[in-house]
Amino acid sequence: MWLGFLLGMLGMTVGIFIGLNMPLVLPQAYAKFLSVAALAALDSVFGGIRAAMEDHFDNSIFLSGFFSNALLAAGLAYTGERLGIDLYLAAVVAFGVRLFQNLAIIRRHILKKSYHKKENTH
Amino acid sequence: MNRPVYISVIIVTFLLGLMITFQFRTNSNTTGIVPTERYQALTIEKKNVETDIADLEEEVADLTAKIDESRKGRTEAAVVLEGELDKIMLYAGLTPLVGPGVEVLLEKSSESLGSAGFYNIRDEDLLKVINDLLGAGAEAVSINDQRIITTSEVRQAGNHININLTKLSPPYLIKAIGNPDTLKSSLEIKGGLAEYLAASGTAVNIRQSGNIQVPAYSGPLRFDYAKHV
Repeated sequence: MWLGFLLGMLGMTVGIFIGLNMPLVLPQAYAKFLSVAALAALDSVFGGIRAAMEDHFDNSIFLSGFFSNALLAAGLAYTGERLGIDLYLAAVVAFGVRLFQNLAIIRRHILKKSYHKKENTH
Repeated sequence: MNRPVYISVIIVTFLLGLMITFQFRTNSNTTGIVPTERYQALTIEKKNVETDIADLEEEVADLTAKIDESRKGRTEAAVVLEGELDKIMLYAGLTPLVGPGVEVLLEKSSESLGSAGFYNIRDEDLLKVINDLLGAGAEAVSINDQRIITTSEVRQAGNHININLTKLSPPYLIKAIGNPDTLKSSLEIKGGLAEYLAASGTAVNIRQSGNIQVPAYSGPLRFDYAKHV
């Protein structure tokens, strides 16, 4: 699992590096969709971490969740804008809530682990 | 965990990093979020400014065309004026001319050379020749390279003749541009000037040429008393 984290960090670093050096800027009009998609992706990644901690990580669920969440969030935001409904707000709320839930569960897992470790060493 | 998991983790985190940095750059590029109304207002303003620019560019093109036109008109006027000036200088005798015509050489004939000083070519003779040539349609006349213009005098001064305040001495070479035949025959007509001059001891030598060169008047031009009406 720790190798997975390491690889994740590596992938993230490479992505950030490339993203910072790409000579391309998204038009302001599309920034909204990308932001929602990024939020969904972030949620998926934290969900994956949580699943890994709970030891029921499933690669296909992780991958499909990542892509479908991102695309769906962006697509919904786009449709919402076409229809005049701020659907991206719904996506932001939904993924935001899930993100915080995932974070809370991850925190608890980490705390539990360190607690166990302490107990074991004592 | 197996290999596909690692690959998917790498792909997913890579994409996440890419998306986040992209979003970060897009946002920091515009320094804060622009409200939609402001965005629309700015868009409308931009459109207005663009139409203004287009209008002004059209105006610039229009004015440039006008300037070009007036400049062309000015050069045309300059060309016309230059042509006028050339013509006036031509009439005034201020330009050297070339053309067909005759050369008349007046000198003492050999018979009269013996009686030295008894007979000289006089100003009247020259004036008569000039008069005849002008009467026959000569357009430009010069005597020993002194161009005859409106203020030219032909005046006896001792043994010399002054033309354009310049002392000339024989032999006198009179050049005239005009119809060579008319000019020649006007002098050689029976009972005419050539006969008269020959009788009074002057050798008259008339030569027709297709290429007579008459110099320009080079003296001072002064009008101290005459004024424009």
